[in-house]
Amino acid sequence: MRAVNAVTTSWPGLRVDRPSFSAVAESELDAVHRYLLFLTGNRSVAEDLTGETFEKAFRLWRRFDPRRGTPRVWLCRIARTTALDYFRAEDRRRKREERYARDLPNAEEAPVGTGALGAALALLSPAEREVVALRVLLELDGPTAARVLGISTTACSTRLSRALKRLEEMMADARD
Amino acid sequence: MPATDTIDFEREFEDLVAELRALPSVAPDHVREHVRAFGEPDVGPQFWDRLVTFPWRRSLLVLAPVCVIGLVSAALVHGLVNSGPKREAVVTAHSGAAKTARAPAAGAFDSLPAPSPGRYQDYEAWMTLRVRDLQALTDRTNEAMQVVRAAGGYVASVQQSTPAGSPGQADLVLRVPIARVENVLVQLSTLGTVIDRHLSITDLEQVVRQQRARILQLKLFIARALEQLRGTLPADVRLRLQLQLEQARSDLSKLTGANKATLRQASLSRVSLTLTTQKAAGATKKSGSGRVDRAARDAASFLAAAGAVLLYLLIVLSPLLVLTAAVFWGVRAYRRREERRLLAST
Repeated sequence: MRAVNAVTTSWPGLRVDRPSFSAVAESELDAVHRYLLFLTGNRSVAEDLTGETFEKAFRLWRRFDPRRGTPRVWLCRIARTTALDYFRAEDRRRKREERYARDLPNAEEAPVGTGALGAALALLSPAEREVVALRVLLELDGPTAARVLGISTTACSTRLSRALKRLEEMMADARD
Repeated sequence: MPATDTIDFEREFEDLVAELRALPSVAPDHVREHVRAFGEPDVGPQFWDRLVTFPWRRSLLVLAPVCVIGLVSAALVHGLVNSGPKREAVVTAHSGAAKTARAPAAGAFDSLPAPSPGRYQDYEAWMTLRVRDLQALTDRTNEAMQVVRAAGGYVASVQQSTPAGSPGQADLVLRVPIARVENVLVQLSTLGTVIDRHLSITDLEQVVRQQRARILQLKLFIARALEQLRGTLPADVRLRLQLQLEQARSDLSKLTGANKATLRQASLSRVSLTLTTQKAAGATKKSGSGRVDRAARDAASFLAAAGAVLLYLLIVLSPLLVLTAAVFWGVRAYRRREERRLLAST
C-alpha cells in the first residue's frame, strides 16, 4: 500500500526515504477527517477542513521530515492549525453578526454521531472532543498527542480522562 | 507512563471507547476524490524548505562542540606559529652580536618610521639591548660609542654600573646626525638582543617656519625704525621708537638663538641606549619548555581575545535578543490563550 518516494529530504547526507504524498493521503484521509469531525463537531465543516488540510499538506510536502514524526501526526498538526483558523474566522463572524444582526439564526449543524453518544459528544467542548479523537480514535500515544495539542503529557491525560468521564456520565444520564 | 495511561483509559472506559471507535467516520467520497486529484507534489529542493527542514537542534549539538574545538585549535596553531621561528630568528640574529663584522639586523628597525628628508624633525629613539655578560656589556658600550662617532655623532653621556650580584647596565645618550640615524639604529640593534624600543618623531617644520617669519618681521621693523630715527621726530616719539627698537633687537636676538637651537635639534637625533645583562624571562630561553610556555601564553591570549569579542557581541546584541525573545514568548502566550478560548466553547 505504501509506495516509497525516491525523492528524499533535501539535505544531502541526511537523506531519508519517505512515502509518497498520494500514498499518505490515501491512508490518512479517514483519520484526519475523523479528527476534524470531532474537533469541529460538524460534519460539513469537517469535510471542508479535511480538503483544506490536504491542500496545505500538498503545498508543504517538501517540508515533511519522517524522522520528526509520522505522517499522521504531521497531518494532524496541519489539520489543527486549519481548524483553529476556521474557529477564529467563525468567532469574528459571530461577533460581527451579534453586533449588526442579533436575530440571525445559527446555521444548522450536522452532529458528529447519532443517538445518545452523538448528543453527548455535541455537549463536549472542542478541546475535549479533540483529545478524545487523538487518543481514542487515532490512537496516538500520550506524548505525541500532547505535542500535537501543544500541552504537557500530564495535561493531555487529565483532559482525556475528564472528557471520557463527562461523556460516560452524560451517556448514563441519557440511558436513565 | 504513556503505556500505562493508554491501558488505564482503555480498561476504565472500555464500552465507551468501543462505542466511540464504532462511530461511522469515513471521509465522504467527494472529499476522497478531491484529495486524490492533487496527485504528487513536486518535491524539488528549495532554499527556504532546506532551512525549515534542517535539523537545527540536533545540528547545534554537533556544531557547538565543533566550534569550541575549532577555536581551541586555532588558538593552539596561533600560539605555536607565534612562539616559533619568528622570535627564534630575532634571538639568533642578535646572538652573534659580539663579532665586529655583522650583517645588519634585517627587520629589527624595518618597521620603524625613518626621518623624512627635507623636513625639520625632532627624532628621538630609546632602545634596550640585552648582552650576554659583563665583559660583553663593556665591549658593546664601546662599540656603540664607536658606531655613533663613525656616523658623525657624539656621545652626550655614558653611565655604566656593574654592581656585584646584580645585572650590569650601561646607559648611553647619543646624538646622531638625523640623516644617518636610521643606519646607526640598525647597527646598534645588532649589539645585542632587542628587548625594548621606542621612537618619537615630532615635526618641527611649522616651528621653524613661524620663527623665520617672526625674525623677518622683527628685521623689517628694526630697519624701518632706524630709517625713521634718521629723520626729525618729536622728542617723545623718538624716545618711544628707540625703546621699541631696543625691545625688537632683544627679541630678535632671542628668536635667532631659539631658531638655531631648533635647527640643531632637527639636525641631530637623540638616541637613548640601554645595555643590560639582565635575563628577560622567556625571551632568553631556547629550550622546548620555553617555547611551550610561549605557545600556551599566545593560545591563552588568543582565546581571551575571542572571548572578549564574544562578550562584546553578547553585550551589544543582548537587548535585541531579549526583545526578540519577549516578542516571541508574548505572541506564543497570546496564541495559546486564544486557542484555549476558542476550543473551550461548545
